[in-house]
This record gives sequence, C-alpha cells and structure tokens, in this order.
Amino acid sequence: MSPPPEDVVVKAARREACMALAMWVIAMFYTITYCYLHGYNRSVESLTFVLWFPDWVFWGIVVPWLTCIVLSTVFAFRVMGDESLGEDIDESAGDSGVSHG
Amino acid sequence: MADPIPAADAAVTGGYGTLAMLLIVIAVSVWLGTQAQKAVERGGFMKGYFLGNRGLGAWALALTATVQSGGTFMGFPSLVYAHGWVVALWIASYMVVPITGFAVLGKRFAQISRRTGAITVPDLFDARFGDQRVGLLASLLIIFFMTFLMVAQFKAGAIVMKLAWPGNGALALAEDTTGNPIDQAYYVGLAIFSLTVVGYTLIGGFLASVWTDLFQSVLMVIGVVMLFLLVVPLASMNGMDRPTLDAVAATGPAYAFGPGFPKGDKLFLPLGTAISFFFVWAIGGIGSPASMVRVMACKDNQTMRRSIVLLSFYNLLIYLPLVVICICGRALMPNVPHEDEIIPRLAIWSARQWAGGSFISGLILAAPFGAVMATVSTYLVVIASGLVRDIYQRFLRPAASDGEIRRVSHIVMILFGVIGVAANIRPVGFLQTLIIFSTTSTASAFVTPAIMLAFWRRATAAGTISAMVIGAGTNVGFSIARLSLDGPTYDRWSFGLEPIVWGLAASATTGVVVSLLTSPPRAELVSSLFDAQPATKRQVAPSTA
Repeated sequence: MSPPPEDVVVKAARREACMALAMWVIAMFYTITYCYLHGYNRSVESLTFVLWFPDWVFWGIVVPWLTCIVLSTVFAFRVMGDESLGEDIDESAGDSGVSHG
Repeated sequence: MADPIPAADAAVTGGYGTLAMLLIVIAVSVWLGTQAQKAVERGGFMKGYFLGNRGLGAWALALTATVQSGGTFMGFPSLVYAHGWVVALWIASYMVVPITGFAVLGKRFAQISRRTGAITVPDLFDARFGDQRVGLLASLLIIFFMTFLMVAQFKAGAIVMKLAWPGNGALALAEDTTGNPIDQAYYVGLAIFSLTVVGYTLIGGFLASVWTDLFQSVLMVIGVVMLFLLVVPLASMNGMDRPTLDAVAATGPAYAFGPGFPKGDKLFLPLGTAISFFFVWAIGGIGSPASMVRVMACKDNQTMRRSIVLLSFYNLLIYLPLVVICICGRALMPNVPHEDEIIPRLAIWSARQWAGGSFISGLILAAPFGAVMATVSTYLVVIASGLVRDIYQRFLRPAASDGEIRRVSHIVMILFGVIGVAANIRPVGFLQTLIIFSTTSTASAFVTPAIMLAFWRRATAAGTISAMVIGAGTNVGFSIARLSLDGPTYDRWSFGLEPIVWGLAASATTGVVVSLLTSPPRAELVSSLFDAQPATKRQVAPSTA
C-alpha cells in the first residue's frame, strides 16, 4: 500500500516559509552591505539628503523597507495559498485531547 | 535653523490631560475585559479563556502578535536620541517581520493546533512529538523566562503611573528608577496598575489581553502620527536636512553615521551587532510563545494574509517616523538630561499652544502605558495557561471540570499578580538585564524546535528537547560571558555577534544531530500531522511516553 500523499497545507506552508526566509536573507544582505559601505566612516561634508533622511539611510533602509511592503503585499495576496486549515476537533475532544500519558 | 530649546525651558510637566488619558486607557481596558468575558462564555472555558475560541481577526492578529512590548516602545526613542541615525539600521529588520512572523510558522501552527486540539504551545509540542516530556520542558521554560519579563513590566507600569501625576515634574517613562525615587507615589502607581491589569485579564483571559493590546497599538500609531505632525515641521522649517545637521552640530559627526554616536567607550552598532539584530527581531520573534499562541488562535488563512499586509504598513508608520521624530528632538532639545524623556518632553512642549494641548500630549503618552498593560496581560495569560493547562490539568487533575479549571486559572493569575507586586516593592537594579536574558533565551530555545515541529518529519522528541536546552543555555552562557569579559575580548571570541545568534546556531545544530542519532518518530503519528487525511477522520495525537 502506498503512503498517503503529503497534505497540501504542509507543501504550501513549506514553500511559503522558504520564500519568507529568502526574503529575510536578501533584505539583510542588501541593507547591511549598503549601509556598511555607505553609512559607516564618512564625513559630514559628503552627506546628501533625500527628504529628512541621510542618503545612506534612504537607499539602504527606506527604499528596501518600501520594497518589502510591496513584496509582502504581493506575497500575501498572490502567492500565499488559501488552503483550509482544517476543522478544530470538538471541544470535548479538545479537552480530553490533553495527553495523559 | 529652529532655535534649540534649553532643557530647562522644556521642563514642563504632564497636566491633567495626561492623567485623564491614563484613566481613560484603564477604563477602556476594563471594559474590554468584560466584553472579552462575554465572548469567552460563548464557547468552552479552556479554549475560550486561553485561545479566544480560535477567532482572532486580521487586525487583532496583525497588531498584537509581533508588535513589541511597552518596554521596547519606551526604550527605542531614547536610543535614537542618544545614538542617531544608525538606530534605523538597528530596527531595520522590522521591514520583514510581518512576513517572517506569519508566513514561516503561521499556517502550520494553525493547522496542527486544530488537528490536535492544542490550546497552548506546550500542548502543541506534546501532541506533535507524542511525548509529554517535550511539553513539560516547554512549559517550564516558558513559565521561567516569562515570569521575569512580566515582573519587569510591573515596574514600568508603576513608574509611568507615578510620572503622569500632574505637577510631578519628572517625565521619564523609563524603567530605570534613577532620578525617580521609589516613594509613596510609586506604590500607589504599582497598586493601581496591578489591580487593573490583573483584574481585566482575570475577567477576560486571552481575548482581554489581545483586545487591550490592539487598543494600545491603535493608540500608539495615533500618537506617533500626531507627534510627527507636531514636531517635524518645527524642526525642518528651514529645510529637511536641518534636523540632522543641527543634531550633528549639537553632538558630533558620528550622529549621522554608523556605528552611531557613542556613549562612553562602547560603539553602539558595529557590523556584528548590526547583523545580529536582523536575527533578534525577524527570527527571534518567531520563537516568542506569546506570538506562537496568537498564530494558533487566528481564524483562518485569509486572516493571516491580511495580517501580513496590515502589519507591514503599521510598522512603516511606527518605526521610521519615530526615528525622524527623535532626530528632530535632538535638534530641538539637544541636552535633555534623561534620554528617556525625549518623547514626553516633545509631546508636552509641541502641544502646549494647542487648544486641549494637555489632552493631546496625554493621548501620546497614554500609548506606552497601554503597551505596558497589554504586555503584562499577555504574559499573565501565557504563564497561567502553562501552569493550568500544561501542568495542573495534564499531570495533577486530568478530570478537572471547567469550573475547577476556571477557579485555578484565577488563583494562578492572582498569585502571579502578587508576585509581580512583591518583586517590585524593592525593585532590583538588574531587571533590565534579566529581560534581555529572558527574551533572547526564549527565542533561542523555541525557534528551532518550532521549525522542526512544523516541517521536519524526522524530528524527534529527544532532538527537540536538546534543541531547547542547548539553545537557551548557549544564549545565557554567551550573555554571561559578555557581561564578564571586556568588549574586545568578547568580540574576539564571538566574532562580534550577539548571544542570540550563537543560541540559535547551537539549537539548530543540536536539534538536527540529536534527531538523526535517535530513533525515528512513530510513522502513524507523523503521518497524522503531515499527510492528507480522509475527510471523515479526526486526528488526535496522544502522548505515549
């Protein structure tokens, strides 16, 4: 007898978790690299501004932050699946569902 | 440039508007507690009281599951004021917190908790691994670390209450009592705060803590937006670059760059620390038991998706504006004696000429107070559920009735309220250190086990237990080393990384290695939680250990 197929929620959740962690890695790599190269050990004379932000803060933090919002929105509404999370087991079963060894 | 305001001139105090707003926050919180009680009564006690009948909507989930405690909101502005623009990098990983907070574990935690009927995080570990020892260890770690976190917040709440009193003259909202002596006003504040927060949490349980948390989150964003509109135009009337340049003139060039304007010899954000804080906020938050249980309580998948978007915009509205506000604060008030006072001083000073200015500043200042109350409430529920559900019901009284569980839950909350008060009658000075220990140790203990629980079929109970113990232990060990060693020595040994990074790494390595070295978990147990199930089958995963 062949084993049952993996639950669709498990597959979807694993894929989405990988994507979320990839986004974290990319955001960390870009932000820290950019800020370290452009925001550390500089002179005030070389500083320019975008709105209230020093240039390195704007391009290293504000822009990726806005990008993450766009990507998170796309992820939430276009990528993340809407699989059923399943029914909650009955309240009576839930309480007795505490394992008692 | 806008003329800097001497600190002495800005030393105004909270008026009756401030006190009125705190009283309104208290009244609304108690009312929310009573409303939560009505909602709890609609279902079974245990699931309603400790999990809100799995009915959290998008707003409640988004604004309460990953938003930081009152302590963080109170401490963050003082960091910006003290160290400058680099604090934006310190907090930058909040750009991905919405997606890591919900998309990594949310769907699986919600699914497994439904399949097993798990109500608490230890319940979930027990059911997933079929071993009571995993659940028991999770309970003990949660209760141990969260008690420290909760106790510290009592102190913060009492001090805020004390400082809000009109004519007090002190404005710092910090937990540090330097300059804020422990006196009668402190004890009155402690009593009012404790009675309020324990009272409404006891009445409404999990939902009371969530709804008050949501209320304070809304207050917070209103406060930040108002403060931004009041302060930033004043500081930048001669150009948007002026706040930074004026702040640099008042401090030094380091204020505009990394690693930040130093206090003493210590650099604020060297490269290793900057990397570490991407782990602290974005990954550490995944392992917070309070966050995990809220994800378990979410209504459905659509709720989770909406929460990601809501929280993304919420974080944007809170953190970057706060950085700009505090940079402007340094330009306008370069010499505030206590850095923690910058937000209250700006609020009271900038609203002084407006009709109802005291009320406006009170609204801004009530937000951190609400945040502290919501944090204590959250920890109380998690601790009580750990003791009542995971220890009392599981090991002592498996057949306890709803009425008995209700009574015991109330007794536990009152007991921990008393502990919170007793520990703060003579508050010790190293509580802030314990908070950091507890927060990062909890994350180090639970991130890897939670990921193993959700996604790795081969994960074993022994591997999970090892990951919890080694993760927490490594974090505590490195934290002690950092306190004991001088900075350069610690940096040489740790490559400049924060203890939590080593805690997470040790936990992951141990969890994987021990799982592979121990017998695989029962196939039917794993299949019941990872494989497609016939539509009619109900899954319960009992422990066999």
